[in-house]
Amino acid sequence: MTKSVRERPRGAAVARRVAGHVGRGLVMIWVVATISFFIIREIPGDPVQGMYESLLQKGMSPDQAERATAVLYGFLPTGSLWDQYVGYMGSLLHFDLGRSLSTPGVSVTSLIGSAAQWTVVPVLAGTLLSFLLGVTMGVYAAIKRSGKLGDLLALSGSLLHGVPVYVIGLLLVAIFTTLWPILPAGGPVDVAFVPGFNAGYIGSLIHHAVLPVVTYTLASYGGWILAMKSNVVAVLGDDFILAAELRGLKRGIVFRYLARNAILPLFTILALSIGMLFGGSIFIEEIFNYPGLGLLLVNSISTRDYALMGGTFLVITIGIVVANIVADLLYTAIDPRVRSGEAS
Amino acid sequence: MTVTVMPDMATGTSRATLRRNFWRGVWRVLCRKPSRMAGVIIVLGFAVMGVIGPLVYPANLPRDDNALYASPSLQHPFGTDFEGTDVLALVVTGARYVLLTGLATALITVALGTLIGLFAGFRRGGWDSALMRLTDLNLAIPGLPLLLVLSTVWKFTSPLEMGLVLGLLGWGGVARAVRSQTLSLRERGFIEAARGLGLPTRHIIGRELLPSMAPYIAMNMLIAVTGAVYAQVGLFFLGVLPFDANNWGVMLNLAVFSGGALTTPSALPYLLAPLLAILLLTLGIVLIVDAMDEIFNPRLREE
Amino acid sequence: MSRDSAAPEVRIRDLTVVYKTPAGELPAVSRVSLTLTPGTITGVVGESGSGKSTLALSLLNAVQPPGRIAAGSVEIDGLGDVLRLDGEDLRRTRGRKVGYVFQAAQNSLNPLKTIGKQLLDLGRSHDVEDLRALVADAKALLGRMGLDGARVLDSHQHELSGGMRQRVGIMLALVLNAQVVVLDEPTTALDMITQSTILRIIREVHEERALTTLVITHDVGAVAEVADDLAVMYGGRVVEHGPIAEVLGTPRHPYTQGLIRAIPRLSGDISLARALPGRPPTLGTLPAAGCVFRERCEKRMEICETVEPATATYDGRSVACHAAGRPAPVKRREYA
Repeated sequence: MTKSVRERPRGAAVARRVAGHVGRGLVMIWVVATISFFIIREIPGDPVQGMYESLLQKGMSPDQAERATAVLYGFLPTGSLWDQYVGYMGSLLHFDLGRSLSTPGVSVTSLIGSAAQWTVVPVLAGTLLSFLLGVTMGVYAAIKRSGKLGDLLALSGSLLHGVPVYVIGLLLVAIFTTLWPILPAGGPVDVAFVPGFNAGYIGSLIHHAVLPVVTYTLASYGGWILAMKSNVVAVLGDDFILAAELRGLKRGIVFRYLARNAILPLFTILALSIGMLFGGSIFIEEIFNYPGLGLLLVNSISTRDYALMGGTFLVITIGIVVANIVADLLYTAIDPRVRSGEAS
Repeated sequence: MTVTVMPDMATGTSRATLRRNFWRGVWRVLCRKPSRMAGVIIVLGFAVMGVIGPLVYPANLPRDDNALYASPSLQHPFGTDFEGTDVLALVVTGARYVLLTGLATALITVALGTLIGLFAGFRRGGWDSALMRLTDLNLAIPGLPLLLVLSTVWKFTSPLEMGLVLGLLGWGGVARAVRSQTLSLRERGFIEAARGLGLPTRHIIGRELLPSMAPYIAMNMLIAVTGAVYAQVGLFFLGVLPFDANNWGVMLNLAVFSGGALTTPSALPYLLAPLLAILLLTLGIVLIVDAMDEIFNPRLREE
Repeated sequence: MSRDSAAPEVRIRDLTVVYKTPAGELPAVSRVSLTLTPGTITGVVGESGSGKSTLALSLLNAVQPPGRIAAGSVEIDGLGDVLRLDGEDLRRTRGRKVGYVFQAAQNSLNPLKTIGKQLLDLGRSHDVEDLRALVADAKALLGRMGLDGARVLDSHQHELSGGMRQRVGIMLALVLNAQVVVLDEPTTALDMITQSTILRIIREVHEERALTTLVITHDVGAVAEVADDLAVMYGGRVVEHGPIAEVLGTPRHPYTQGLIRAIPRLSGDISLARALPGRPPTLGTLPAAGCVFRERCEKRMEICETVEPATATYDGRSVACHAAGRPAPVKRREYA
């Protein structure tokens, strides 16, 4: 067989793509880190300098105060801008994002670590659900495209795609917690239950996660249904579908040909969708008082906890970079044309 | 509206006929689905609201201390807020801020995006790849978190400042679209043909490229307006910016975080009114974009 | 698998296919009767819009909406009337009994699967028990057409050239031993050398496997190289049909005459080549009564305006023309 002949360039093409993504991602992380450094530096009233001075006033020695401030923000308050920048970047390389002010004594890294799960799990669940739902309804909308139902599905897609996520979230809250209170209004879990692997606690977790996950799902569902509908319509017009029917292939097989070819291009927007949901998590967590990264970011701003703010911003960015790479790898794994390095 | 620009391939009278035919086509497309007409009416309605609304109501809206969070009535169709101010009046007067910001954002987004996209597609080579890297970065950096972080250094509360920030963060999509459009026109020999005729670059861009891309750009502009409306309302809703002006985002914030709209039904109309306004505006713009798609996409028009 | 040595006969009778348009249902194929003699290649030529592709799809009862088969029958020996088949019976007929080869320029292969996997899909769809033998058959067929079978089966569509894809298409139409094969524009969009290779392959495979073959094309020169019989279509009607040497040598219908005059390769002298005046009709411009060709006809008579000419037989071929009784004015040329 000729497999071995082509195997090598395929591997190389994949490696090149991944390397490109990692490179671009690193640049992005660096840019975002630089932005957050300068913002922390430029905040009116200079919190870093202020912290240093207030520690001095409390009777610390300059040396102690300097070190205490450095622990908080990741760089020394004295010294030139460049020294501060290098210090900040150096701490980042050691995954040291400084210490939180609002939760004294706790490192930013551990705060983010415990918040991340409350964002990542609902975002992934929402992405998966909306993908499945949107793809199915997209096929349906494409097949029924000349009828009223198809029009309605497409319009619902456009509308949900166009409406901001907080509108969806607020409407859901208004309906399901105020008008018809069947779901909890906020929080991640009922405090009455003992955390652990017991039915009550897990049930409460799920009960509280319903509205956030549904909001995530509806927020990206519109995009999927619209994209899937137009892909299916395009593929239906392709000759190979008619050819497959004229070769007498079973309906199930023809449908698989159709579905796979229509779904494939969706993987290019998967990363975009996940990125959008990460951004949307700010609103969703604020509305549902859900202790994820978005809420952490908003709270850090209102409590002027700038080290936490910079760290959260950075971690959200990294999440998006990783989502990008994963989505592209998925795409590469499925499309033979990319795999063999034909398309770029 | 922004759809007046046509490729000027003809001159004099024939151009006038073209334009007439074009408007007739627009009319036909609008008539085919009445929902599109509704879209135009909704958006025009909001525009009127933004321009005239604040003139109809007094500068300081009247308060009624006896009717805090009043339920909807004939006098107050959406009830009143925590100070007894009419919610409908708040929505109408708040529209100006929201729309002004949207307009400013759209203008900056489109101007910047078109400029960068055209330049990259036209020059190609090193400029192109550098600008596209920048565009990728602009697209990839999460916009909302960046806005939040920026809000700590810069309290951009006036509509124009807000529009400037949103525009500076949002040009990536337009730039990429314009570039790919430029490249495809180039591929079709459009630019080379014009060059061959000895036309100066300024002419090629101004009179050949831009007009053929106008529909594209106009559609992006509408989409930018919606993006800007969401972002600003969202920022005020989160409460990271000081409440300087009356706008829908402030209303949402007060309804949810002070009015307890999430737990008590009495404050619900106060929450729903701005939401309804946003939904309606979205619906209007979605319907218009749909109509524009059909007007400018010959493949759809043929059928 | 045993192979029936007797090729089936195909009898198309009074076939009418209509397309739904804003102006109502218009006929793309109108009362066409055509018999494909067992073991022969019949060519169908016509300009675009003449209804030839619709005719081809009718053989598999596969006219696509907004089209609809309104009347008629397509009888194939051993199968009965294809137009009465539906559901699973129809599906099993397609591919297994009647093979269909698509135009080369169009992509008739799933871009995401290797040819081999698509071959297996085909085998499973038609309940082939011995898939190994199917693969061996496919390799042999591809080898027969000058390709490296193993390599092709392991390839994706984008790794093959246009001529290779066309040969894969032929392989997929034949590998289940279909005995009626329809080729729709098999050489369009291929370069000249590949064209003649494909035509030679069609001829050779046809003879080896004792098939009944229908070749649809707008290229009279191409069809002249392979066909035994020739049917000329115009405006949804078969206007002339007979042995190819007769039809091309002494065309009876004015349209056939014009068509041949327009092709220097056939009329022999480029200075005599003359384009047919006027434009081919579309669904909407077809006259409702009378002869469909009269607008462009140099022999039109009064009767042509009102009466549609019936098909009559003149020395071995059928012609639908009021003026066909008269001798052809075309300069004779020896047809080899």
